[in-house]
Amino acid sequence: MKIKVTQEKLSKALNVVSRIAIGKATLPILNNVLIRVNQKKVSLITTNLDMAVEDYLPVSESEDGVITVPAKLLAEFVSNLPKGDNIEITSKDTKVTIKSGQYTSTINGALADDFPELPEIDEKNSVIYKIGVDEFKNSINQVMIASSNDLTRPALTGVFFNTYDKNLAIAATDGYRLAEKKIIDKVESEVKAIVPTSSLQEVLRSISDEVEEIEISFNEDLVRFRLGDVEIISKLIDESFPDYQKLIPKNNNISVELNREELIRVTKLAALFARSVGGSIVCEAKSPDIFSVKSIANEFGENDSHIETKVENAGKINLNSRFLLDALNALDEPDIKFEFSDRIAPVVLKNKKSKDYTHIVMPLNS
Amino acid sequence: MYDVWKNALAEIEQQISSANYSTWFQDTSLISTQNGDIKINVKNTFYVKQLQNRYYDIIKKALENNNVPVKTISFEVQTTNRHKIRPREITKDTSINNHLNEIRNSIHPQPKNHLNSSLSETGLNQKYTLDTFIVGSNNDLAFSAAKSIIDSPGTRYNPFFLYGGPGLGKTHLVQAIGNELIRRNPNYRVFYTPISHFYSDFIDSIQNGKGKEFNRKFQKLDCLIIDDFQLIVNKEKSQEEFFNIFNDLYQLNKQIIVTSDRLPNQIKTVDERLASRLTWAGAFDLQLPKFEDKCAILRAKAEQIGAEIEEDAIEYIAENVNTNIRDLEGKFSTILLMSEVRGLTPLELIQNGSVSVDTTSKMRPVSPKQVVEKVAKYYDLSVAELKSKSRVSHIMLARQVAMFLLSKELKLSTNKVASEVNVKDHTTVMHGIKKIEKSLKLNFTLRDQIEEIKERLYG
Repeated sequence: MKIKVTQEKLSKALNVVSRIAIGKATLPILNNVLIRVNQKKVSLITTNLDMAVEDYLPVSESEDGVITVPAKLLAEFVSNLPKGDNIEITSKDTKVTIKSGQYTSTINGALADDFPELPEIDEKNSVIYKIGVDEFKNSINQVMIASSNDLTRPALTGVFFNTYDKNLAIAATDGYRLAEKKIIDKVESEVKAIVPTSSLQEVLRSISDEVEEIEISFNEDLVRFRLGDVEIISKLIDESFPDYQKLIPKNNNISVELNREELIRVTKLAALFARSVGGSIVCEAKSPDIFSVKSIANEFGENDSHIETKVENAGKINLNSRFLLDALNALDEPDIKFEFSDRIAPVVLKNKKSKDYTHIVMPLNS
Repeated sequence: MYDVWKNALAEIEQQISSANYSTWFQDTSLISTQNGDIKINVKNTFYVKQLQNRYYDIIKKALENNNVPVKTISFEVQTTNRHKIRPREITKDTSINNHLNEIRNSIHPQPKNHLNSSLSETGLNQKYTLDTFIVGSNNDLAFSAAKSIIDSPGTRYNPFFLYGGPGLGKTHLVQAIGNELIRRNPNYRVFYTPISHFYSDFIDSIQNGKGKEFNRKFQKLDCLIIDDFQLIVNKEKSQEEFFNIFNDLYQLNKQIIVTSDRLPNQIKTVDERLASRLTWAGAFDLQLPKFEDKCAILRAKAEQIGAEIEEDAIEYIAENVNTNIRDLEGKFSTILLMSEVRGLTPLELIQNGSVSVDTTSKMRPVSPKQVVEKVAKYYDLSVAELKSKSRVSHIMLARQVAMFLLSKELKLSTNKVASEVNVKDHTTVMHGIKKIEKSLKLNFTLRDQIEEIKERLYG
């Protein structure tokens, strides 16, 4: 095996693939990156058996062959070589030699035979979506914050991709809040799949500047994200996601329009006094035309902030200030809608104009 | 089967490096070995190819060394370890379940949509809950077993076999278990089906060539509830299918719940192997409620629907309805309805004789002669044979059944009964009735026979 490639390109590719191959696996070969050259096509592959990352590397010269090399060591070595140099990697048996100008090093690799064979997506039996990279990044970030890391409830540790009414929507919930974003409209195919949040984080990290569009393919138990030269394949979570549509209240009699920045500020103020009571704050719509955010900490004192806005129906609700702040930070318009009906139904938070993002927060019992 | 896999794993562990073993085999389990088609459960798709290509021969050999015939090996992704994770403790104000319920209620005050959707998936009716199941001396054992199942499904009481006469709450209890399991862990896959539906679904699936899917659907469950098991049909293929599903789930420590009106070995159509397996973890019965239990049931029922009823009326009804809980509740509802219509309190209604609580009264009157004739005919005897002094056991049984019915149904005195069946005196009659009463408790065939005779009498 032999490849010749510039330092920048190799270093960038190694950075993308080596993150999931860093030292946690009991099986040593999983800490290696597989370098495969097949008729000028060079790819670097790593896996942690929940997902796999593959990056196609444009090279100037190559000879066919496969070898695996400790990913972290190779990535660090290459990143410290002078930029702009050409690097030549050759392998003989398990010895891998890396040459760049006057720097040469030999790393003990391992034969590719032990590297696990990875599952593939059969494109004929899969549904494929394409989405602009900024929209994807933004949407995943808006939804992912609501996902759970409680491993005893696997279904909630992922983001649910599902189609309904010809929309592809993504949703996540940890039981205390729920976020949903419609990301593609007028879709023809259907999908219902839970993608692990950890895999999505990896996808987000692997997005580079030159990528404009992401292709997402689902089949029965796998999902593949294609972003430029990088392909990420991940398992899906084999669980059923809660029927979350039912959780979103449809008729809220109290609806208040608020400036997002202002609400963030008063919520942060209230949160200071809410630390001893688990972040519990009281939001109240009062007539005439005041929205107040209040918190009480017996030993420290209390806080009560008012925002002027139009209030038609009065009512109040107890919320966890951290969840409210997360929701407000996920919204992206200057003005937002804060809707609720009574103390036991959740609050619905939306942008004032666009309707594609919905964030609901469960109230705390008062 | 489970142990076979453990043995096979131990063998495999010897042959490969420990890192390889713990990476590739740690979370595997055996799903089925039917007909040499081995199915192995793996953690996710990433494990499939590696096991298939690198370890196929090792697995095959290890299984064959443990006397499991191997034709094919396939690897599937199923989340079988879910039941090992205990449902999270539910605390009042934080759990999603509570919120979900609250929210559901607030969105759909009458959760009709939800009910329908859950019916199709789990077969459960949400109206059955543990809160509404009244515990008394007649069912406390079964109830505590049910609670233990909810806390740790698939362990001690597996399979859970529940039996008792009609209308005593079997369906209520088992559906309540299913509902509670789902409430504690919404991901728990529970499926409730009367055995008759199981068959028709099975036959449909075979006709549509979807037999495998049918099997797969059941193998994915965490808890299978089969109701009215006594209606099991003696068709080899379908009983075998049930037997296989039962075994598969049992091996995987999935909870199996079966209800029936009698013990499995008293159901003629049941294969012996299956019969013995069903009661591995014991059999729990629901008995007829005693007077105090009946009063408690009625009081709870009254409270549930917010009706007012005098204690005396409750006691009167409890004393006079002796069939089952369903009749008890039915009678109770009728009285409440009448009391509303007529503007009298339930007790006033009873006292002025507008309602009769005696459940036998609705049947048309029969003469002692008819009883004797029907019983004789049922047992293929002539009336003369029945009335003879013969001590042949089947004739004696018929004679005693006749005595029993004359006394219980027609409320004849023992002397009168003696003359109707031509026996010496009332002590013989008393002995005969006692004998029948005693065997009724254990002998379900006799119970069926008597029910059938009654049907012919009044029908």
